[in-house]
Amino acid sequence: MPRPMGRWLIVGVAASCLLALSKRTASAGAPTPDEASPPEQNLAIIVNTSNTVDGLSMSELRKVFLGERRHWPNGRRITLVMMEPGQLERKALIREVCQMNENDFSHHFLHGLFTGEVFVSPKTLASPIGVRKFVFNVPGAIGYVRANEVDSSVKVVRVDGRLPDDREYALRIPIADAP
Amino acid sequence: MNQLDNNAEPVPVQPRDRVLGVFSRFPSALLLLVVFCVEVGVGMFVIRDVRAASVEAQQMYARSVLGLRQIGELQYQAQETRRSTLYALTTNDSNLQVEYADQSREADRRVTDGIEEYLKRARMPNEIEVGRGLQRDWASYLRVRDEVLASILEGSIKEAVDMDLHGGVPSFERVRQDLEEIKRLYDEQASEQLARVGSSSRRSVVRLVGVVCFTLIFATFSVWAIQRSRMQGAVQFATLQMEFVTSISHELRTPLAVIRSAAENIADGVVEGKEQLARYGSVIRNQSRQITDLVNEILLFASTRNKKNRYTLRPLKVSEIVEVAMENTAELVREAGFVVEQHVEQDLPCIVGDLSALSHCLQNLIGNAIKYSGQTRWIGLRALLNEAAPGNREVRISVQDRGIGIDGPELPHIFEPFYRSPAVSAAQIHGTGLGLPLAKSIAEAMNGKLTVESKLGSGSIFTLHLPIAKSMQPPAIAGARDTTAKP
Repeated sequence: MPRPMGRWLIVGVAASCLLALSKRTASAGAPTPDEASPPEQNLAIIVNTSNTVDGLSMSELRKVFLGERRHWPNGRRITLVMMEPGQLERKALIREVCQMNENDFSHHFLHGLFTGEVFVSPKTLASPIGVRKFVFNVPGAIGYVRANEVDSSVKVVRVDGRLPDDREYALRIPIADAP
Repeated sequence: MNQLDNNAEPVPVQPRDRVLGVFSRFPSALLLLVVFCVEVGVGMFVIRDVRAASVEAQQMYARSVLGLRQIGELQYQAQETRRSTLYALTTNDSNLQVEYADQSREADRRVTDGIEEYLKRARMPNEIEVGRGLQRDWASYLRVRDEVLASILEGSIKEAVDMDLHGGVPSFERVRQDLEEIKRLYDEQASEQLARVGSSSRRSVVRLVGVVCFTLIFATFSVWAIQRSRMQGAVQFATLQMEFVTSISHELRTPLAVIRSAAENIADGVVEGKEQLARYGSVIRNQSRQITDLVNEILLFASTRNKKNRYTLRPLKVSEIVEVAMENTAELVREAGFVVEQHVEQDLPCIVGDLSALSHCLQNLIGNAIKYSGQTRWIGLRALLNEAAPGNREVRISVQDRGIGIDGPELPHIFEPFYRSPAVSAAQIHGTGLGLPLAKSIAEAMNGKLTVESKLGSGSIFTLHLPIAKSMQPPAIAGARDTTAKP
């Protein structure tokens, strides 16, 4: 009669070998961390064509979108145009520019308007076309759309001196997350 | 024969008869052609007028009616521009506001395009001025509208309303007035065009009625004139026939009276001796021959008129025709004491014809020359070759006299059957009025013609034109033959 301890040992070793083999096989087809990052689309910041501003730094842009800046250099009132909550563009802008999440962003405006620290309440539109048309109609408006949705009715401003087509443009939307 | 005496008075012609005579000379087909041409002229007038009226109406429609419709459209779009802007005021939803702004901009683009279109079409200075004013006022309103829209979208409703009340309303009122002014201009143009079309239509109607009346009158007059000329022709023909019967009766009565007298003398035993009886017999024979000749001539004419006469055509020498005619008229010439001067050209080619008919024709001409020569008692007979045109060679046989001649107005009638000049009848020159028509018929049956040249008081030349027989060689008779027959 064999000894029970020996049997259990053999089974345990075999199981360990199989487990190790299965882990190796599974890890052989996985991508590298660099290869795993999804493809991205750029987010264009747009203003009215009559606006004299051609570029903004990221910090200026943050101030504008957080409602901490009231007027453009030409004196026109700044009107913020946002897309509805849940849209990828909005998420990207809040994350990249405001460095917040949706809740923090909403809280910021509620609090700011209440305390008077925020001067501008953003307008909310359902579609990129609506955003574009709003910006076209309002000389002091600023909004955002995907770079491929920009047309001649609006003007794209540089962010940190870069346009959406430039290599190191800062505002990107991951396409993998796109609906 | 229809010739006038030197002392005969010309018959006066009434002006009305002269006009009718003009109509009677032209065949009815020609008159109908004239009527047709007049009708075509009328048609062209009418078509031209109708076309002009149509063009004017089209222009009126294009300029005024379409213009008014476009202005109506402009007014609607301008209102739409403003209406959409104001709708944006009624909501807080930015999406709806953007949609209204979009609608307003669409409408204003249509208005702007419409104004440009109007300015392109404008021709009159006042149209251009009003159009430019509208363009300025519309641009001014759009500037205010843009600000109002921007304020609405920004959420500054009070500011938008203030701006619209103080800037938008007055500037839109100016636009409205400009559009009303353009509409008024179009109304004026439409009224003018309408008046012009009405005037043109009235003018067309008057012209049409006038020309139709003229055509009807002309056609009626033409028909009346044709009928009248036919009636006159019939009356004239009947008169001529009566004259012919009278003339024939007279021509027959004289020889019959002579025959009867001679017969009575013989029957009564007045005639004694063989010699006297022979003389009476000769008289009866001559007179009966004269009657026979007369009857033959009438029958011959009747047969030519009915186209029943059959001629035996054959190549003939001209000299042969002349000889036969001279032989048959020799006794007449001799009795009348005339000199006949003959000149027949040598080497004359043959002609194709009927010897008997042609000699009869020539005899008629010689007989007429004797009858109307008066006291001169000279006849010229010539036969010569004429080459008026290549391939159109003919022989001309002419009979000339130095008698009373024929007056110009009589010449067209002398070949008409039974025609006898009143002056000739008055001069007691007997005849049937058939000699020349018969001669003409014979000439034409031989593919020739009979012409006349005459001068009143100087005499006449009747010429028989006979075409030369093709491939006929001239007879080998050398030299011309000049002879003079004396009584």
